Amino acid sequence: MVEVGGGAAEAAAGRRWRLADERCDLRAAETEYVRRFHRHEPRDHQCSSAVAKHIKAPVHLVWSLVRRFDQPQLFKPFVSRCEMKGNIEIGSVREVNVKSGLPATRSTERLELLDDNEHILSVRFVGGDHRLKNYSSILTVHPEVIDGRPGTLVIESFVVDVPEGNTKDETCYFVEALLKCNLKSLAEVSERLVVKDQTEPLDR
Amino acid sequence: MAAAAAAAAICGEDETAARVGCTGEWAGGIERVDLGERKEAVAAAGAGKRSVYLMDCAPVWGCASTRGRSAEMEDASAAVPRFADVPVRLLASRRDLDALGLDADALRLPAHLFGVFDGHGGAEVANYCRERIHVVLSEELKRLGKNLGEMGEVDMKEHWDDVFTKCFQRVDDEVSGRVTRVVNGGGEVRSEPVTAENVGSTAVVALVCSSHVVVANCGDSRIVLCRGKEPVALSIDHKPDRKDERARIEAQGGKVIQWNGYRVSGILAMSRSIGDRYLKPFVIPKPEVMVVPRAKDDDCLILASDGLWDVVSNEEACKVARRQILLWHKNNGAASPLSDEGEGSTDPAAQAAADYLMRLALKKGSEDNITVIVVDLKPRKKLKNIS
Repeated sequence: MVEVGGGAAEAAAGRRWRLADERCDLRAAETEYVRRFHRHEPRDHQCSSAVAKHIKAPVHLVWSLVRRFDQPQLFKPFVSRCEMKGNIEIGSVREVNVKSGLPATRSTERLELLDDNEHILSVRFVGGDHRLKNYSSILTVHPEVIDGRPGTLVIESFVVDVPEGNTKDETCYFVEALLKCNLKSLAEVSERLVVKDQTEPLDR
Repeated sequence: MAAAAAAAAICGEDETAARVGCTGEWAGGIERVDLGERKEAVAAAGAGKRSVYLMDCAPVWGCASTRGRSAEMEDASAAVPRFADVPVRLLASRRDLDALGLDADALRLPAHLFGVFDGHGGAEVANYCRERIHVVLSEELKRLGKNLGEMGEVDMKEHWDDVFTKCFQRVDDEVSGRVTRVVNGGGEVRSEPVTAENVGSTAVVALVCSSHVVVANCGDSRIVLCRGKEPVALSIDHKPDRKDERARIEAQGGKVIQWNGYRVSGILAMSRSIGDRYLKPFVIPKPEVMVVPRAKDDDCLILASDGLWDVVSNEEACKVARRQILLWHKNNGAASPLSDEGEGSTDPAAQAAADYLMRLALKKGSEDNITVIVVDLKPRKKLKNIS
């Protein structure tokens, strides 16, 4: 499994990353974004990885969804309810209830970083029954052009303890599967909003 | 031969059964709804033994359902009396039918459908199954019925596998938006998904007619036959750590990971379901099918979600259901005649059994939604009013 880190990133230049919708090497731009924005320092008992998704929607629209730390259910299909007190700011804590069928029922999550200029969101799990100890993620969105139209590249990386009884490979596989589902849903929601925008009356 | 033997065994008991026609369907949920059904009584054709393939088969069932300790109710169930007629050649060989003097190509048996659907990630797929499984199955049976005439001997099990596999695949395709579906009573056609890709449901379905019970199961709900006071499992739970299921998943590049139990990708605790398109191709909607000839010592069928089976064994469920049915009849047989209100509503004895099982699961600490259907398979003579 590829691990993200200063030195590891250099050594891993030629290794494969799993993309949410493409099983191939990360492209040059993505690798560069990972190097700049997705530095984790995994320790021996931790694992780290990243997933990416290309979305046919402009970056401001995608960012407006992901920055809603108080309402992850807007695009995360596994969230049934979220409670957060006060305004969205660094240090905010949300209580998330998870939909049925998953190996968890709740998660307590802290907003570590929210940068509206650079479009960076960082979240740490501080409680819950998901077995994801010391989980920390970084999500970034980047403008790009898809089919001649404004699009967005979303990258989400994470680092987490490997639970007792599981392997690093299993842990990364599990988290990646959840993140891919989230990013796919984010794409669907964003792209639906684009279509909606384009069909609204111009004189409104 | 087994089918014919079963037929002979049942014939003797049912000589005086009355033929009662009834239409309508009923879908269970949190509340039971008694439908006012118009009953059409048809006098028995005449005295004398008749083949099991000519006997009618009254649907006698009860259904109990509760959210239990869960925050959401995501279970659904269906009980659809006389939802379809089954070509008899799916139930017996031409040779056996000829020997009984029956027209193998024309004869159809009325059948009832019972189903339990345990949703996860939301109730939408379970609710969709409740509404659609029996409709699609009826269509598949009609389609097959048209083609049977051209065939010689029929591999019955193979055809049942085919019918149910097509039915479940069709419903799964509608759920995912791969094929169009009809909404709002036929007024609209849509080709978008029913709901989000992480919503899914189990489906355990029993088709009951006078000669056979045919079962199709997808997921980890379960159906148990109580026969001669002993449980017979008619389905095998689709768990990811089942050796053959794990092998199938891994052969397709998937992973089974232990994360609070064995799960596909560490996420889903069952290896087959309707919906859940984010986990395809690892999680498939293909049912496992069993074709079971009915027998004289059949007591009842129990279909239930894992909210029951996680805390009540097959043995205990059978013992309890059988006892509750007998108790009801013992307590009510002399005092009042059996209600003759028709087939659109539940039977009070079977209902008592279903209610009891549901409460038993709650008492034993079930943490999930609980849905139980009990189908009484014992022919019971209706008492005549004293006049």
